[in-house]
Amino acid sequence: MRTFLALLALLAVNVALGATRPFEQVWLVELGVVAVMAAIIVLVSMEVRREPPLVRLFAGVGFFWAAILFGMTLTDYLAR
Amino acid sequence: MSAEFIGANPAEPVGVTRAGHFATDAQQRHAATFGMWAWLLTELLLFAGLFLTALILRLLHPEAVQAAAGHLKFWIGAANTVVLLCSSLTMSAAIELSRLGWQRMMVGCLLATASLGALFLMLKGYEYHADYEEQMMPFLARRPYALAEQPATRLFVNLYYVATALHALHLFTGIAILLGLTWKASRPGFLQRHQNWIEVYGLYWHFIDLIWIIAFPVLYVVNR
Repeated sequence: MRTFLALLALLAVNVALGATRPFEQVWLVELGVVAVMAAIIVLVSMEVRREPPLVRLFAGVGFFWAAILFGMTLTDYLAR
Repeated sequence: MSAEFIGANPAEPVGVTRAGHFATDAQQRHAATFGMWAWLLTELLLFAGLFLTALILRLLHPEAVQAAAGHLKFWIGAANTVVLLCSSLTMSAAIELSRLGWQRMMVGCLLATASLGALFLMLKGYEYHADYEEQMMPFLARRPYALAEQPATRLFVNLYYVATALHALHLFTGIAILLGLTWKASRPGFLQRHQNWIEVYGLYWHFIDLIWIIAFPVLYVVNR
């Protein structure tokens, strides 16, 4: 239940930021909030923190691959 | 080749029927969880490509993407995120109840999860209908497109439909599998033989929730 309330609170933050647009670079905060929500779901709801090391490694590797995909591609587009 | 199954202990209210090629129950449980994660990783990379494309479109065509995103139904998207968070709560409750052996309450939570998933799809369908009424479906050749004077908006709008429809397809499939699983889970002795099915399926449901939680800000929020 605490996980659910934490996720609801973080969603409320993002919805409030999206509705009010308080400053230009607010998207950075919004993506940061999403990253925290995703971490909570993976570690707590999907119970990765309680899994054996091999499952934890595999779950982590997936997000690491995604980070490579985003990192290398955005390095190109943001550096143009 | 037929597998050799080792019967679950009838004295235990919760357990798994162990296949002969596993040395212990714990090994079988870990293998099932690991297998689900291996599949979820392929799904993660599939959706990651779509989300990355949305961010690139925002960088390349900021004005067009903001104009297109202005037509998205922000509050329906937010409400749908709450619906899926509630469904994750009921799924987590079902998993905990399965571990306790409380079968009737577990089945109730599984049905609540499926109902919330169906509510999400209904709201999504209403959203698509509103998009249709606003002439925001550029892929319909015989229907005018509201932002026709900004061609780059088509890229984002089409991506929005691909990403959300793919998510909706996963959710629809998930509801169908969940209803089948719920029917099986309501049979006597299910939790003695297959308790970990609930846990493994729960991973899939939470993952669908996770994808939407990323899709909502990437498509709806950051582009406003």
